[in-house]
Amino acid sequence: MKKSMGRFFTQERRRILYAYAAAVLLFLGGEAVRPGFASVASIEAVLVVATFVGIVAAGQTFVILIGGIDLSVPWVLNGAAILLVTASLGQDARAPYALALTLGMGAAVGLLNGVGVALLGIPAVVMTLAMNGIMEGLTLGLSGGLTCTACASYAPPLVQAAIHGNLLGVPHALYLWLAVILLVSFVLSFTAFGRSAYAIGNNLRASYLAGVSVTATTIALYTLSGLFSALSGIMLVGFGGQASLGMGDPYLFQSIAAVVIGGVYILGGRGHYLGSVAGAISLVALVSVLLAMNMPDYGRSIIYGVIILVLLLLYGREESRY
Amino acid sequence: MPRDAARRLRRSRSSHRLGQNAGLILVCLLLAACILGYCAIFHVSQQRFPGSFELTSTVNNTMPLAMAALGQTIVVVTRGLDLSVGGIIDLTNAIAAVAMGESAASMVGWTVAVLAIGAGLGLINGLLVGVGRLQPILVTLATLSIFQGLAIWVLPQPGGAIPPAYSDVLANGDYPVSLFYVVLAALLWHAFRRSALGVAIFAIGNDEQAAAANGIRLVRTKILAYVLGGMFAAAGGLFLAATATAGDATTGNGYTLTSIVAVVLGGVSLFGGRGSATGSLLGAFVITMIVNLLFFAHIDPLYQAFYEGLFLIIAVIASTGVGSYFRRRG
Amino acid sequence: MTAQEERPAAIEASRIEKSFGGVRALAGASFSAVAGEVHALVGENGAGKSTLIRVIGGRLRPDGGAVRLKGQALDFGRPDAANALGAWTVFQELTLFPWMTVAENLLLGREPRGRLGLIETRRMEERAEEVLAGLGITHIDPRALVEDIALAERQIVEIVRVITRDPSILLLDEPTSSLVEREVEWLFERIGELRARGAAIIFTSHRWNEVKSIADRITVFRNGAEVGTYAELPEDEAVRLMTGQRMETLFPKPPPLPATEKVLELNGLSGPGVDKVSLSLHKGEVLGVGGLAGHGHRQLFFMLFGAEKPGGGTIAVENKIVRIRSPREAVRCGVGLALVPEDRKTEGLLLEMSVRENLTLSVLRRVSRAGIIRPAAESDAARRMIERLQIRAQGPGSRVGTLSGGNQQKVLLGRWLLADCHIMLLYDVTRGVDVATKHELYELIMRLAREGRSILFYSSDAEELARLSHRVLVMREGRIAAELSGDELSAETIVAAALRDSVAA
Repeated sequence: MKKSMGRFFTQERRRILYAYAAAVLLFLGGEAVRPGFASVASIEAVLVVATFVGIVAAGQTFVILIGGIDLSVPWVLNGAAILLVTASLGQDARAPYALALTLGMGAAVGLLNGVGVALLGIPAVVMTLAMNGIMEGLTLGLSGGLTCTACASYAPPLVQAAIHGNLLGVPHALYLWLAVILLVSFVLSFTAFGRSAYAIGNNLRASYLAGVSVTATTIALYTLSGLFSALSGIMLVGFGGQASLGMGDPYLFQSIAAVVIGGVYILGGRGHYLGSVAGAISLVALVSVLLAMNMPDYGRSIIYGVIILVLLLLYGREESRY
Repeated sequence: MPRDAARRLRRSRSSHRLGQNAGLILVCLLLAACILGYCAIFHVSQQRFPGSFELTSTVNNTMPLAMAALGQTIVVVTRGLDLSVGGIIDLTNAIAAVAMGESAASMVGWTVAVLAIGAGLGLINGLLVGVGRLQPILVTLATLSIFQGLAIWVLPQPGGAIPPAYSDVLANGDYPVSLFYVVLAALLWHAFRRSALGVAIFAIGNDEQAAAANGIRLVRTKILAYVLGGMFAAAGGLFLAATATAGDATTGNGYTLTSIVAVVLGGVSLFGGRGSATGSLLGAFVITMIVNLLFFAHIDPLYQAFYEGLFLIIAVIASTGVGSYFRRRG
Repeated sequence: MTAQEERPAAIEASRIEKSFGGVRALAGASFSAVAGEVHALVGENGAGKSTLIRVIGGRLRPDGGAVRLKGQALDFGRPDAANALGAWTVFQELTLFPWMTVAENLLLGREPRGRLGLIETRRMEERAEEVLAGLGITHIDPRALVEDIALAERQIVEIVRVITRDPSILLLDEPTSSLVEREVEWLFERIGELRARGAAIIFTSHRWNEVKSIADRITVFRNGAEVGTYAELPEDEAVRLMTGQRMETLFPKPPPLPATEKVLELNGLSGPGVDKVSLSLHKGEVLGVGGLAGHGHRQLFFMLFGAEKPGGGTIAVENKIVRIRSPREAVRCGVGLALVPEDRKTEGLLLEMSVRENLTLSVLRRVSRAGIIRPAAESDAARRMIERLQIRAQGPGSRVGTLSGGNQQKVLLGRWLLADCHIMLLYDVTRGVDVATKHELYELIMRLAREGRSILFYSSDAEELARLSHRVLVMREGRIAAELSGDELSAETIVAAALRDSVAA
């Protein structure tokens, strides 16, 4: 087992451990500032919120590993949330159809991103940014700025229960995230597809010349990213009940930050989703600590940015070659 | 081969210029097309052609973006990216609204101060990227958050006031004075491109290793690139304040992404090393014209982002395709 | 001409030590040159010549030893210290800016400026024109982007850029690798001019005829240190000094004659750089491809591997016409490509990943079941290949980037062997490889041929080609200029066929 976990080698493993250590430290720090912060219920609450970031981060991890990025997260997520409520109209009977449609939408957007990047040679920043705009326009336009009659619908009770319920004292959302963690980690560590992704991120040209299907793998990874963004949107609206405008905006920064904090190299080729998980938890824990300190909005913003920079300086540096 | 014979066989100067500046030419054509389209749709909608008022307001509204795009260009040419542009505009806008007084001394003084602050914010980015050797996209993502927070701290609620005289100078409501600033910006760029720093910035974007081998000081140049980026973003903040006449610590947010769009439309490569800020300035106008076009064509404003996104994709594909076509000819 | 001993010392390098990772590139090497001489550095790939040049040029800080230029100690803390002392280097890897014009590149830092201190483009282009013409170059347009001009022209621009600095010490690392005969003559004329002005010129080259024609003295390098410096040196003596062996023992026994069964046939294959190439490769044959660099070999090989698109002609594998549109498809047809050293690092290996992962990259499907990699099958395959090729690494899990050049090359070959490629395209696989490993690679190639694999073999070393191949096709300007076999096949005939015609200007 140890041999096949080749990805967890010394330096990368260390970074992932640091990320988890950071999370633990944040909980302890929060406890010091506001006793009760590190209680089971409180930790659970943080983890549930981290789930939404973590799932988007799964997709983001995939594309960052091949040296790309997905800036279409905000409006794929938002679009998915709105699509779910308007397609299901709050009815369980329509839930399967709505879920399929929504996830399909996410995958389709991801597919387009992948095609643009892999086949048309459009830089990932530009392509995903453009798709984000396209999704924003479509979502706002088709929903009339969320004023359409169906827009005020709730998510199907089934979906809401899937997020809110508890099984053996643990929220359902966490089980869902665990499933995603297991699946994504497995794909990255043990499958040929995952190996191809790492190869491409390491050296695209060499991978191509070794016979790795670079185009297909790239498209698949972006498709997955779109899928995960949509999934997170579904879960969010299941959590909150109704959709709102702008609900996807915070998740772009948070997903990228989580991935980076988790030790994934921004230019690709190194890192693992388990690190992004720790990153997501740390991030949400940090925000919660700041909230617990009654820090005003702007203070949170500032400290947020500063902490990210500190973490980057600690282990985000490139080597100086010159 | 005799020298003159060789010369005659060569492509003409203009042929070279055409191929090497294909992106710039494309955005000019794009802008021309947009203006024509706009005039046509405007006429259909309003039964007259756009006049001085429309020109003035268009230019005034574009100035913040144009400045942001100029700053972004300088950073992008070094193969970096400045996502904190929106935050710098927020912060400088807020400071101007809060601090600027009625007197000429106050206006001038605070203009200089705000530009210096912008440069200072850029310096933070530059130090982290140049000395800290962190990735630009990550650094500026973090500083964006910091600057936005600072902006809200300075101006928690929309408010403050910009002296009308200031607005008259920067964003005059009656005459398209701003055109003068656009031309000035283009001239500044033309000069910058021919300065030692300008050459150094392009060299780094081309090939850092070769630049180092050629004696270019990487760290210093990168820092200066971000400082200039911050300064121009601050200029954008001032123009924004002048057009809005009051302050708002969040209106700058959208400028991050639109500045990148303007840069890409202007034919500047995100991989660094080539492109012209003149293109980015024109790209900024293209964006505004598209918005105007959509407005007068009675396209539901909610769909605006859709068209912008679609347009961006088409423009990028066209730009790279046309560029390589022209360079291969001849 | 004054005797060497009376002329002032230009370069004094003593006991230079430099290691990269585990590889000792320079082992206490010493070197000296005087003003007004042309001094050649010869040796095999990996002997340390390029590393020494980089150290003397102030670009690489040695681990030990000292360098004095014109009597002054070289300060490695400043990147332009050597330049300040009048020493300029032309590297193998060009340091030009692709998206800037030839003029901008040539005059970087010395551009003509007008009022306000701004560069005047038109004057700059005119000056560049003058500079080029003054050195006898009229075919390069200073207004063209470096990206748009040919490799040979780029090398010339690089050389011109340095010459215009009026160097008192000029270091050239493989300056002629991309140049044709006429351009080489041009370079030697310039070198002659510099020598007459009292400059010291040091250059490395693999081409013995060049070394013979221009060098005043020759220093032989082997295994990271100098072997000796000579004013006169016959070629076979030089080879002996470079390799430490007699020439005959270096190459293994020639392979047995191949079967007549055709395994690969090209008919009129054309494309960028390749002009209607037709050839057949038989089972068990080692078919050599020779010629000067830049004459289409790379494009041909990459076309056969699906990495470049052919414009016309056909490829038939085992008598079936195939269309190879990607490396993936090439591997399926049984074609594997092992690449030349510099490219090995950027186009062949994943330096940050392990030996095992690099070896199994092309056969992931074979060591997986339902997409899931079977760890036992994977390590098994890797271990087998490591043993078979005697790949020296700390373990199958060690990072390929830490291996020596020769072992890295073995990993690359191992990848294709694992993929069961029965047609191997070997592109300059012995470049940058130490002598011992080179010998192993020769043995391996012979063994592969004996096993029935067919090999298309390009090498920049004509001797190697002559000794190891059954036949050699010499390419010139994208087409097959000559086919040599049997008695006519020798290093000299290969080089002659490669050069014929490029002499006429």
